[in-house]
Amino acid sequence: MFRSRSWFGGSLWRTKNPHSLDHLKYLHTVLSKNQTVSESNRSLLVETLRSIAEILIWGDQNDSSVFDFFLEKNMLSFFLNILKQKCGSYVCVQLLQTLNILFENIRNETSLYYLLSNNHVNSIIVHKFDFSDEEVMAYYISFLKTLSLKLNSHTIHFFYNDHTNDFPLYTEAIKFFKHPESMVRIAVRTLTLNVYRVQDHSMLRFIRNKTAAPYFSNLVWFIGNHVLELDACVRNDADHSSQSRLADLVAEHLDHLHYLNDILCLNIDELNDVLIDHLLNKLFVPLYIFSLLPAHQFSPLQEGKPRVSSVVSLFLLSQIFLITRQEALVNDLANVILKSTAANWENGSFVAQARPVFGAPSRTLEESLETSTSSLGEATSEDVSEPVGNLNITDEEKEQRLAQEAQKVFLEVVVNSLDCDENDYAALFALCLLYAISQNEGLDHIMLDGMLLPARNTELKQRYNAWLVQKLVNIVTQSCQAVCKIRLVTLELAILLLQKLVLLEGKNLLSDAHYAAVVGAKEESAALLTSYYKREDMFGEMFESEDEDMRKKPLNVEWLMMDSNVLLPPTGTPMTGIDFGKRLPCGEVERARRAIRVFLLVRSLWLNLSGLKETQLPLTNRNDCVQSDTDLDLTNSDLLACHVIGPDGVRNHRFLVVESNQIILVVPVPGKLGYGRPKLAAMLHDLDVSADKHDSRSLFLSAKFTTVGPMVNTKFIFDDHIRCMAAQQRLTKGRTKAREEKMRQMEKLLDIPPSESPQYNLLQQLRHQHRSAGSRSMLHHKIPGFPTQIRVSSASPRPSGDEGSEASNSPGTRSRDGSPKLPRPRSEEIQLESIKVKQHK
Amino acid sequence: MSYAYLFKYIIIGDTGVGKSCLLLQFTDKRFQPVHDLTIGVEFGARMITIDSKYIKLQIWDTAGQEAFRSITRSYYRGAAGALLVYDITRRETFNHLTTWLDDARQHSNSNMVIMLIGNKSDLESRREVKKEEGEAFAREHGLIFMETSAKTAANVEEAFINTAKEIYEKIQEGVFDINNEANGIKIGPQHSPSNSNLSPGSKPPSQPSGCC
Repeated sequence: MFRSRSWFGGSLWRTKNPHSLDHLKYLHTVLSKNQTVSESNRSLLVETLRSIAEILIWGDQNDSSVFDFFLEKNMLSFFLNILKQKCGSYVCVQLLQTLNILFENIRNETSLYYLLSNNHVNSIIVHKFDFSDEEVMAYYISFLKTLSLKLNSHTIHFFYNDHTNDFPLYTEAIKFFKHPESMVRIAVRTLTLNVYRVQDHSMLRFIRNKTAAPYFSNLVWFIGNHVLELDACVRNDADHSSQSRLADLVAEHLDHLHYLNDILCLNIDELNDVLIDHLLNKLFVPLYIFSLLPAHQFSPLQEGKPRVSSVVSLFLLSQIFLITRQEALVNDLANVILKSTAANWENGSFVAQARPVFGAPSRTLEESLETSTSSLGEATSEDVSEPVGNLNITDEEKEQRLAQEAQKVFLEVVVNSLDCDENDYAALFALCLLYAISQNEGLDHIMLDGMLLPARNTELKQRYNAWLVQKLVNIVTQSCQAVCKIRLVTLELAILLLQKLVLLEGKNLLSDAHYAAVVGAKEESAALLTSYYKREDMFGEMFESEDEDMRKKPLNVEWLMMDSNVLLPPTGTPMTGIDFGKRLPCGEVERARRAIRVFLLVRSLWLNLSGLKETQLPLTNRNDCVQSDTDLDLTNSDLLACHVIGPDGVRNHRFLVVESNQIILVVPVPGKLGYGRPKLAAMLHDLDVSADKHDSRSLFLSAKFTTVGPMVNTKFIFDDHIRCMAAQQRLTKGRTKAREEKMRQMEKLLDIPPSESPQYNLLQQLRHQHRSAGSRSMLHHKIPGFPTQIRVSSASPRPSGDEGSEASNSPGTRSRDGSPKLPRPRSEEIQLESIKVKQHK
Repeated sequence: MSYAYLFKYIIIGDTGVGKSCLLLQFTDKRFQPVHDLTIGVEFGARMITIDSKYIKLQIWDTAGQEAFRSITRSYYRGAAGALLVYDITRRETFNHLTTWLDDARQHSNSNMVIMLIGNKSDLESRREVKKEEGEAFAREHGLIFMETSAKTAANVEEAFINTAKEIYEKIQEGVFDINNEANGIKIGPQHSPSNSNLSPGSKPPSQPSGCC
């Protein structure tokens, strides 16, 4: 393999110990002799620089004299000297990497101080590298980032000079805050956060007075332009063609918000004041919130200013409330959205204070930094305007404006967006925003009480926001109609918000009329589902899988607001790759799925509001499967010996038992005669059984869920074909019975009269046949060699169908799949026989 | 030197599993591992060739930045490949893999190639995690797996290069949207959009459009 050590071509070289003071001395000579970089010594210099890093790290850990020498000879000045010669990226990159390695690996504080002690590192930081070379840029920014990780209250003074008001590490880095390369931007953000968290007052004062306004105003402008790009992407993408671009822009906006939140969370008051002011007055209010209103409303001041669509604006505002809980920011922002009235904005400003405008900063960041750092102590030209959320108005004014006061301009728009007559495009985001505000922990509760949360004041007649609740109830009611344009996600979110609004400590505050509307909706949803109901396995499976899906993935609003797809107009086709819940149904099957989900959602809302506990769902609790830590008493059970061939080809000897609607594979428990330890259990109704065409002794079994994960076409080999057939019938019948029971449960849930279904009759009729057969003693007809007697199981659930209806069933019909052929082995009949009969015997 | 593609990688895993050493070992082999010296670095780049094309790998270590949510989030998103590293001599670093993986899956783009690496394979006597366990974890989560040693350089090349091959294959299959740089893939100068017809993943101009 290629080894650059060979460049030295010296056997002389190899005799030296690379980790020694002598070697460093030698390298010093090399540097001294090669002060001018040329084509011929380039490689030599690169290797020398690399070796120096290695020795210094070794010295840091083993021999301090190495550092003494390095310092004494002022070797970092050689580095600078090389840099100044326009040495090309090859040398530059090695030099930066050498520094990276040095600062990354030095553990000794003293060594670190040595390296930083004369201003060389700062000189390297301000050196004008060729940043158009992406490799140089990457190594340079990594170098700055590595340095920032070394910052603490001691080392900060090597970088920030409070006499000259100079902090090149920070000011050079932030110049790249909008670099096109994402990794560079991330490094800049990391560095700024690492700087801010160093608790040094004079440094923070510098940051605030000299850099905060220019940096934050440019940052906010950068974010705003990103948002405009996002908006353009949404507007121009009616056909969902640039999903990945949009996803990227949304993720980028989230990155920005998380970054801002990370800064705010450091709780540096002086910095947060400036940042929040910029965010509110230069971005959130003028661009996001103003865009909620129709374009003409704020004409004098906002004319010609950029806007985004109200859908995008609601989406972005939701993200803010989901991500940051910084009190100062969220309270002001919520105040504007929830409370401000037309009167407050009379002059296009919020009670004649700061005028929020989204506009380009007067100077670029570079220019601002240039002037503000060169002129000592002078206040920055970017003045800090008053916070906008202040709603102090005199009593007089209050009276005058009482009439206008009632109309809350922005809240009006948000709540009216909840109308879903045409579609639920904007409604979804309005719900998100209201939900995000209601759950934000940074918000003052007084603002939310009676507005987005139940009023705590028990004397109030109306203890919840009836206006809003009416809109939410409408969404629920509309969702239960056969034809409607409301997506499942919208319904789910409306329900979530509704419960937040009216449930106080588990008690529901709804008025009778609103409650009646919810009950009505629940009945409508059941009726809608009944219209899709089919007495088929397929329907039952669909019902259970939807139920399970919803249980497994409850709505997470934060994740929903990370999904850029919802920003595009609602669509029906699954070909967009959009989740089922986030689009409209397509085709009959999806409409049935939707009806199932609507029913389940509205039903659970109704249960919660009524203070009732769920007793009927889920239809199957797979946790009921016997676990491997319980030994079963099988002294009286039907056990079928078999060999199970696992997916890895391993052959295991097991006994097969059918119990409590489950198939269980057990092994004997040593020392406990007659007991079995379950190795696998699965619900019978999950089971698929098929015979092996080539071997009459074998069956293939599959089940989506077992206690040990899915089972796919696993081969079971029995002793002979009779036992194999016995097993097949036992399993098939058990499965049919289990599925019948599921159907009955579901019908009960939907209030469907059970006798309607033909298949139901089929089972009754089957049972009838068994009954007559069962009157004979089955023990007399035992298969030779059958291991145990039939066990009377108290655990197996009894069929709930009443036996009286049996008489009306006509014999002669056959079930479609796995129908048993007469005569069947007697021992198998027990599985379908009711316990009562067994006990009579 | 110009390249056909640039792939951005990140390295993730608990502290002390040897992430930065792996990175340095791969990007600069001149640092020969010595028994009494561990050297690492947080960033490195190196050119490799796949399918006789020059491919540049840029590797970013995220160590020390976990305190800030915004930072980890963005890193994941900007990478085409991730090396998820644990230390075979420390069981807990293996136990934390699920957390790392969940994080990665949540923040990264779905096509990101993740390679699982059991590092410090030279310390056989102190091994706490069996190779089979690593293999099983990788199989279960659909990752590529390899045991490496930054000390002896065993498998280090392979780990980085195999990940690159996987990414390269995905590009060939058209899975990655290579025109979106946010995926952590950049097209080199000779693949500039002006002649993007020749780049893999887009339709060759000679083929008739109604071929299907």
